[in-house]
Amino acid sequence: MSNDKNSSRVSSKLELSNITRKFGSVTALAGLNLTVEPGELVALLGPSGCGKTTALRIVAGLESADSGSLFVNGVSYLDKPANERDMGMVFQSYSLFPNMTVSQNIEYGLQVRKIESTKRRKIINEKLELVALGEKANSYPHQLSGGQQQRVALARALAIEPTVLLLDEPLSALDAQVRSQIREEIRRIQLSLGITTLFVTHDQEEAMSIADRVGVMSHGKLEQIDRPISIYNNPATPFVASFVGQANKIPAQVTDRGNVKVLGQKIQLSKHSIDIADGRSVTALIRPESLHIVSESDPEGTAGQVVIKSFLGPLTKLGITIEGGLLVHLNVPSTEVRKIEIGDRISIMIVAEEVMVESA
Amino acid sequence: MTIFVVSVLAILIFVLPLVAASEFSFRGAKGMGHSFTNYIWLIHQDGFSEHILTSLQLAVLSGLLNLILMVPTAVLLHLKLAKWRSLVEFICILPLIIPVVSLAIGAQVSMPKFIQNSQYELVCFFVIIALPFTYRALDAALSSIDIKTLVEASRSLGASWPATIVRVIIPSIKGGITSALFLSFALAIGEFTITSLLHWDTFPTWAVVAAQQNILGAIALSVFSFVGAVLLMVLIALFSNRKRSKTNSKLEEVAA
Repeated sequence: MSNDKNSSRVSSKLELSNITRKFGSVTALAGLNLTVEPGELVALLGPSGCGKTTALRIVAGLESADSGSLFVNGVSYLDKPANERDMGMVFQSYSLFPNMTVSQNIEYGLQVRKIESTKRRKIINEKLELVALGEKANSYPHQLSGGQQQRVALARALAIEPTVLLLDEPLSALDAQVRSQIREEIRRIQLSLGITTLFVTHDQEEAMSIADRVGVMSHGKLEQIDRPISIYNNPATPFVASFVGQANKIPAQVTDRGNVKVLGQKIQLSKHSIDIADGRSVTALIRPESLHIVSESDPEGTAGQVVIKSFLGPLTKLGITIEGGLLVHLNVPSTEVRKIEIGDRISIMIVAEEVMVESA
Repeated sequence: MTIFVVSVLAILIFVLPLVAASEFSFRGAKGMGHSFTNYIWLIHQDGFSEHILTSLQLAVLSGLLNLILMVPTAVLLHLKLAKWRSLVEFICILPLIIPVVSLAIGAQVSMPKFIQNSQYELVCFFVIIALPFTYRALDAALSSIDIKTLVEASRSLGASWPATIVRVIIPSIKGGITSALFLSFALAIGEFTITSLLHWDTFPTWAVVAAQQNILGAIALSVFSFVGAVLLMVLIALFSNRKRSKTNSKLEEVAA
């Protein structure tokens, strides 16, 4: 484990090509293609049962693939057993060995690799320092909080200097405050080590805030993989538009030359849905923050009655019923809606350059 | 108040008879004075030490065989063969349901001749009668931890299957293993019915015959058996705890 070797290990390229996996009649992965560049953190995001954890477990060697290929730095890994893959994994549930102290847990992978004791001690101290748990070295897992246990699990996974770091919903068992703290810590450590990381989560805020790229999965396939901001602002499919962030579903009609008429406004169709025939009725997906309050005299505005008002700090979420009884949500700066109360009538309009639609 | 009442009842039911029996066992001839006469009589009886050794030997063997059979079975059921768990649970309850006579005669017929002709056939029976208890102890220990994730964590850290079993699984269910060993050992050392039905001699069958010769000696024998069994259990518990703390301190030294 020389430094040279370390640096090559932490900068591995991970490639999954056409991976399929079925459990009985259920297709967990239907030809998954994914490349994680060296030093990159990619988050796989999707609802339960979309295949994200199966993909991670196949990379770790804890699950077998029915077909496809898996390469790390150009070397095929699919036939390697889990214990020969050199991948560090942090699990959703606390996976520390209960009979071992924090130090012993971190040391475990090093002992297995027959690393000499002086070097082991040095690595343990480094990793304990990295996760700021030096004073807990001799504590047992049951003496630690959930957040501390996950930090030890991270230190243990990093101690073996893995080719790829795999994180299987490591924050989902933690409470909100600790979760955001550990999330930042994971990102800090990942960036400082430059380790290639695959992170699986169903929490979009987590994925968006931590990842270089987010892969949104549905039914065993990647719907879209891109930078978080692109996923949010330019969703490639209606599924991504409705799964990532919130979207109002408003009836609309495709007009001429790739435009759509929604809430009386004419807006350009998203490039991902431009092939829909003119005149067709569709459902437009409009983000709450793309709806703005306008003067009631504005000819482009749509009138409605406020039925929900939820204060969210800097933003306030309003629920408005418009013509036809449709409920739409909009997020507006709290300072703008101080005087608006439930029952008031207001006008809204869409402020967006393009709009994603799905079949009505 | 409830604790006080329960404690008094417990003393009356469990401790008082023991104290009375102990006192009685030290009485001299015709109930006069106190001495070790009855215990001296007991240890001078023919076959005393031989039968104790035989029982100890059979109990140790059956305890070990039980662990060899049941630890991998319970681990496999939790890790890979979860759908077979209810069937195995049912099989493990059978020794409690099947009458001992049927069990003894029926199972003996199915054993190979070389086992039938040896007193070690009792080990097989002791294993069978301890099954319901050992399986429960191991199953409870495995259910209390996320064994699947621990194994996967160990494998992903580079450990082979044997290393994972020895360093992760066994230490994680040590409490269950010790309980299973205790139960198996206790059942084997006190087993009378099957041994008697199959015409073998162990300490319990020898004790029944010996007790018929001297009433005070019989009481001394009861007290001796009880105290002996308790001491053995305490010794096993101490041994297992000492071994555990030794292993822990060794690992801590390495980590320090």
